[in-house]
Amino acid sequence: MPATPEPGADPIQLMVDPAVAAAPQPFYAHLRDRCPVARSAGINGEAVFVSRHEDVSWALRHPEVFSSAAEAVDIGQEQPLIPLQVDPPDHARYRRLLDPEFSPRTVATLEEEARVLVNRLIDRFADRGACDFHEEFATPLPSTLFLTIAGLPHDDLPTFLRWRDNTIRPDVAPGDVEAAARIRAQTSHEISEYFTAAIAERRARPDDRLLSRIVHAEVEGQRLSDTELLGICHLLLLGGLDTVTATLDCMIAYLARHPDRRRRIVEDPGRVPGAIEELLRWETPVQVVPRIVAQDVTLRDVTIPAGTHAVLVLGAANTDPAEFTGADVVDFDRPRNRHLAFGGGPHRCLGSHLARFELRVAIEEFHRRIPDYDLAPGAELRWSPGIRQADALPLEWDPGR
Amino acid sequence: MRVVVDADRCVGHGRCYALAPEVFAADDHGHCVILVPEPSGAAAQQARIAAENCPESAIRCTD
Repeated sequence: MPATPEPGADPIQLMVDPAVAAAPQPFYAHLRDRCPVARSAGINGEAVFVSRHEDVSWALRHPEVFSSAAEAVDIGQEQPLIPLQVDPPDHARYRRLLDPEFSPRTVATLEEEARVLVNRLIDRFADRGACDFHEEFATPLPSTLFLTIAGLPHDDLPTFLRWRDNTIRPDVAPGDVEAAARIRAQTSHEISEYFTAAIAERRARPDDRLLSRIVHAEVEGQRLSDTELLGICHLLLLGGLDTVTATLDCMIAYLARHPDRRRRIVEDPGRVPGAIEELLRWETPVQVVPRIVAQDVTLRDVTIPAGTHAVLVLGAANTDPAEFTGADVVDFDRPRNRHLAFGGGPHRCLGSHLARFELRVAIEEFHRRIPDYDLAPGAELRWSPGIRQADALPLEWDPGR
Repeated sequence: MRVVVDADRCVGHGRCYALAPEVFAADDHGHCVILVPEPSGAAAQQARIAAENCPESAIRCTD
């Protein structure tokens, strides 16, 4: 059942409560309606939650006010995550280098490889009539593709997944921020050590894959420093391993629960891109993005002093009736869909074209092979907050069909 | 109809060339370039849909 927030509930519940993460839309409505610029006790100190589409969109496009600098979020990183934690104007030099690596044209060259990988994953469970979609499909697909793109050994996948989990959802008692910080710092250190060695290796023996290309790239006539390269690698690892997994979980859970909607994309795979955009809006797997207020700003009569942590609630913006007609209705043919699931402004998700491509290939092939499926009887899905992924997503189908 | 893109606002979401491939294309960075600055008929309809769906409001269509 969707969790209806208590009046006056601290918005931080969004980022800590699995019951809210399971169906966050009522919580979003509560924030938008009651308190669109809401103070919170926060996790590591006070924060302000911004929830209306107009305000979130403005904040994303004004990094001089809502900065994405390293102070915005501490995940124990040893250097700023690049380009996310560098604001304009310096930000542009990194995007000029990296945008072409993730452009629609570059991504399209992966089509055949991705279809083969997707089908190999489905081969492992198609005849079984059951799978844990999260564990057997949503997790290995984006991470294996990431390793392929980067030019890193597939054998390192378990290590990468451990680093991802330690960073994004460290296994500690609820609220134990010190223990979480310790795990994150240790993990960041291990990531730095791994990539320091990988960078040295590519310097000595170049190949044609992404890591090697950025090691040897020149930006304004200069090679990137090791610190810059580590900042890029750290961000690519987090972005490449976690977000598409979460998005696949969200989308397949929705389609499992709404067979009428599913049938429409099975019957006409041409509708998959529209379905993906609408489920990105409705589900908004990355619920929030953190910012740090760089100069005093007044938003809806609330003055937010410089130095305040700000949480831009993408999920609330994406379900705002002031922007979306019939915001609570899932409509795969929505004529106007300016969702912010990939953020917006200069820090618009670098991997968004890769993500859309992976989602399209995955959803097309999965439904071609397994058009009719259900959640396993009695399955109770548990969703982790912040980046909404399922702990497990057990599906069942008739393998004879 | 005339289509104008504000290059300072475009950050490469790519909704325009996905929804209106007859009017827009992606450059090497994934930002949009205009293929047909004065579309008509079905292409003009595509361009209007693209403008409606640009998260940065970077596209303007004028009659």
